[in-house]
Amino acid sequence: MKRHMAAIFEAFRFKQKHTFMHGLDPRTTFFMAVCFSVLAMLFLELLPLLIIILSMLPFVLLAKSIGQWSRSLKGLAFLAGFILIINSYFISFSFAVSTVLRLTALMTAFSIFFLTVHPDDFAQALIEMHIPYEFAFAFSMAVRYVPTIATETETIRDAQMSRGLELESGNILQRVRNYIPILIPVIVSSIRRALQVAESLESRAFGSTASRTSLYGLKLRKRDFALMIYSLLLLLLGLYVTFILRTMLPSPLPDWFFWTFPF
Amino acid sequence: MIFFDDVWFEYEPNQPVLRNLSLQIQPGETVALMGENGAGKTTLAKHINGLLKPTRGTVYLEGVDTRKTSTAQLARKVGFVFQNADHQLFADTLQAEIGFGLRNLNFSKEEIDERVNRFLTLFELTKYQDQSPFLLSGGERKRLALASVLCVEPQVLILDEPTQAQDALQKQKLLDFIASFRKSNHILLLVTHDVEFAVKAVDRIVVLSQGELIADGTPRQILSNLSILERARLLPPQLTQFAHQLAEHEPRFPTDLLTLTEAVKAVNQILRRSR
Repeated sequence: MKRHMAAIFEAFRFKQKHTFMHGLDPRTTFFMAVCFSVLAMLFLELLPLLIIILSMLPFVLLAKSIGQWSRSLKGLAFLAGFILIINSYFISFSFAVSTVLRLTALMTAFSIFFLTVHPDDFAQALIEMHIPYEFAFAFSMAVRYVPTIATETETIRDAQMSRGLELESGNILQRVRNYIPILIPVIVSSIRRALQVAESLESRAFGSTASRTSLYGLKLRKRDFALMIYSLLLLLLGLYVTFILRTMLPSPLPDWFFWTFPF
Repeated sequence: MIFFDDVWFEYEPNQPVLRNLSLQIQPGETVALMGENGAGKTTLAKHINGLLKPTRGTVYLEGVDTRKTSTAQLARKVGFVFQNADHQLFADTLQAEIGFGLRNLNFSKEEIDERVNRFLTLFELTKYQDQSPFLLSGGERKRLALASVLCVEPQVLILDEPTQAQDALQKQKLLDFIASFRKSNHILLLVTHDVEFAVKAVDRIVVLSQGELIADGTPRQILSNLSILERARLLPPQLTQFAHQLAEHEPRFPTDLLTLTEAVKAVNQILRRSR
């Protein structure tokens, strides 16, 4: 529990490695992340969601990032536990589990992306997709500051705990309220920093030329096309199952597709 | 009493940040913790109120193992003012900000009101009492952070880089406060790079370098020892530099000077002799 916030961020912290996944064009990885996220949002059945997660695991392996990924799952455990309790209480255990699986799938999809794409490369990809430079830059800055804010959040938590703040006391409402003395300084110092960064950018002539040229360009290679086609096919399959097969009566889908816990 | 018994600490496996560290601080002592960036000063300080627990060894506060208690419980005994005041201010008003620690520790309403007013006055913040802390200037925010920790009147007070971004007047006010604090039977631990300030503020200096305790003594012993200062990447106080340079020409000139008065006296002696 103590370091869970930082652990979740761990899944999104870029680490420079030389793997197949790191060598892909950022547009490919982004496309994959979007395809897999849409897939995860299409299903709420247990086994299909499990299949979606399993089909992403080879890419985590290829990125040699199993360690980081599993650590972030542990970080997610707190939130997952919360979802499990609330949803089993109000709806059903199977629904609760599938919600957690969906969350895991979404997190895996985007953690593959953030772990293997350098924020600058993604900004470059956005620029080559004709998105204005200011937006691309804002995005890469946002990603760049995630770890900084995570570290700062820990310092703030330490400072407030030193003043006798107890995070794990009281009922659920009280526990949420316990986080206010942490959240406000995080927000305030983020805003203060944003203003400082804006000033330092302007003093370094940010935006002085309308068109910027790039030192490094991006190029899609065969493997990029192969992976994009692969994810697109999976997405199309998912759409076909959801919007055609699932609406047919009698259902042509096998029984295991709808399997739920028998309690 | 604070007692570090052979403490090791690592954030990442096999990368010790504190090594083999043993240290005792008695009530009534004022200690400066000095050392290069990344030497482990803040890490050591965070062990005292249990924010960090040693990987090996034990930290005792008044005989209690910090592993067996929580930071919230220790907050009554240990006050910790962090480097950046913005990391702890959050309340709507200054009064609420100062009262936060007291409420956490279940002080009575009357006691809270009394202490809030007393510390607002002590730190010259009364005129802002109903304002938001975020409207204060940098120096005022720093003072508010200090007030909001001190109002608990902890037995141990830890100040992490209190002189950073403070002008000479604020430093002098801090010194005055420390002087009044020194008279009590409390422990003050100052984490700092500021040697000039340390000379005036404390009666003991502990030097860390790469996670190890490399020196422990009076300011006079430590700050006149150039090799220790160099190892810990500390700049000698100007008087020490002056004394060492002068001693090259005048071997009888003492090199362990600390105060301006001492320096004037030593220079006068030489002048008198040469007359």
